[in-house]
Amino acid sequence: MFPSSLAVVLTGLLMGGVALAAFYWAWRRGCFRDLEAQSRIILDDRDYRLHRPWESPEQRLDRELHYGTLEPPGPGEWGGAA
Amino acid sequence: MSTSTRPTPVGSLDRPDVDVRLRADLSSRGPVLLAFGSAIVWLLVGTVFGDVASFKLHLPDWLVQQGWLTFGRLRTVHLNTMIYGWASLAMVGVSLWIIPRLVHTELRYGGLARTGIWLWNVGLVIGNLGVLAGYNDGLEWLEMHRYFADPWLVVGGGMVGIALLVTLAAREADHLYVSVWYVMAAYLWFPIIFAVGNWPTFTGVESGATNWFYAHNALGLWLTAVSLGAAYYFIPKVLGRPVYSYQLSLLGFWTLAFFYALNGMHHLVGGPIPEWMITTSIAASALMLIPVLATAVNLHVTMVGRFGALRYSPTLRFVVLGAISYTAVSLQGMLTALREVNRITHFTQWTIAHSHVGVYAFVTFVMFGSMYYILPRLVRREWPSALLIQWHFWLVLTGIALYVIALTVVGVRQGLAMLDPQVPFQRSVEVTIPGLVARSVAGLVLTAGHLVFVWHYWLMVRGRAPARETLVFHEARPILYEPEAEGALR
Repeated sequence: MFPSSLAVVLTGLLMGGVALAAFYWAWRRGCFRDLEAQSRIILDDRDYRLHRPWESPEQRLDRELHYGTLEPPGPGEWGGAA
Repeated sequence: MSTSTRPTPVGSLDRPDVDVRLRADLSSRGPVLLAFGSAIVWLLVGTVFGDVASFKLHLPDWLVQQGWLTFGRLRTVHLNTMIYGWASLAMVGVSLWIIPRLVHTELRYGGLARTGIWLWNVGLVIGNLGVLAGYNDGLEWLEMHRYFADPWLVVGGGMVGIALLVTLAAREADHLYVSVWYVMAAYLWFPIIFAVGNWPTFTGVESGATNWFYAHNALGLWLTAVSLGAAYYFIPKVLGRPVYSYQLSLLGFWTLAFFYALNGMHHLVGGPIPEWMITTSIAASALMLIPVLATAVNLHVTMVGRFGALRYSPTLRFVVLGAISYTAVSLQGMLTALREVNRITHFTQWTIAHSHVGVYAFVTFVMFGSMYYILPRLVRREWPSALLIQWHFWLVLTGIALYVIALTVVGVRQGLAMLDPQVPFQRSVEVTIPGLVARSVAGLVLTAGHLVFVWHYWLMVRGRAPARETLVFHEARPILYEPEAEGALR
């Protein structure tokens, strides 16, 4: 039976190699195109238009300019009790 | 835990993005609530075992009449319930909730995932009862019985993984957000490292290599991966803005994937394995600077100018502290991998502090934050009390800070005492006692925090909080309820 050192190093290298192959596959499939859109996929329209009490007046104005009148958040909107 | 009553959305379908989130949440509701409920039970069990084990280190004559009450068994059950019971099941719940949302579809094979979670729980019960009865595989993080307990985890985890993979394959979103990479990779990495760690032909010294390959990767490629995936979801989601640099987030994920698997051997510095393996591992550990800095800088800059949000969002408070702890534990880990540091810290309480920064201050904090966000969206009730959340936060923060500081300080003192040939070995034990007592006090504070959290959770899921008359969050204008759609989701 082969030694554990070989098993560990080969598995480690294999996992890195498979990750590299997956990266190449993802690249070819276009998974890294339009990263700006990708970064925004978690946000809904409403996420942009919520009034956030911690934001500065400038940040709020910027949000209003881009997304229109801000909506009030729901109770416990940010995770947790109101 | 109330999982039987399916919420009935009302309203009109006029916002496609809202519809997507609602369909996703409806489909994952049962499995996620089961995973969270189980995780919380294991959190309580693990906490009790951890407390008793901690007290026994400075009260060595306490509870020694029965074999199952000895330190070796209690501490092992604490570790296994916390890693595989609390952290892993909480992560399963987060994964099952987050993936359908991110890929814009319903969770597929929700029943399979639910069965998998039950099997995982059965494996944990068998494994931990076995440990208490004296059946221990003798491998760190793999103590539960290889043939009687582990197969339940393999099959159960596999079922959850299949449900997630099928969901991913059926995705309706063109883009794969970075959290999808992190979470899905974790479900592919875990079976590989679990198989290598449990490989039965490696015994004695040889099993040290495979054992630490597993244990270190379980932290880095399982616990870390899902927790970072959650952090990359919740921080931008609460702030209502994308991460500072999406490119950096991808760099962090892919460099973790390329280099992390070779890291584990740095736990065996000075041990009886080939020196080249350890050196390779130290080099790989140094390379971790890339993903760690990429993540730390990215999340920090995302928060800049918006730290005030921590006052308003318990989710953000827990997750951001968790992310900071990720940076801290990773940098500490890289430092500890260096031979010059390792010769002082190895075999000392420093290591225990280090592992708790990782599993508690990082992973557990992220899981608490995630639950505060997810649960109200699934049970349709608010968390009843802002005060209880504050108590929970401050108790667990105080507890873990005291824990880590005390054990880190006495760990260094212990290491220096062990290295000094003029100092009797007994002295190296005596210097740890103040830290061990402080650790028990910290454990009690953490227990109080957990009790507050569990009580609060119970109040919410049992309906002691007012149900929502109007649907909030993303369900503000939800889809029209359709019985056929419900059938399709099952």
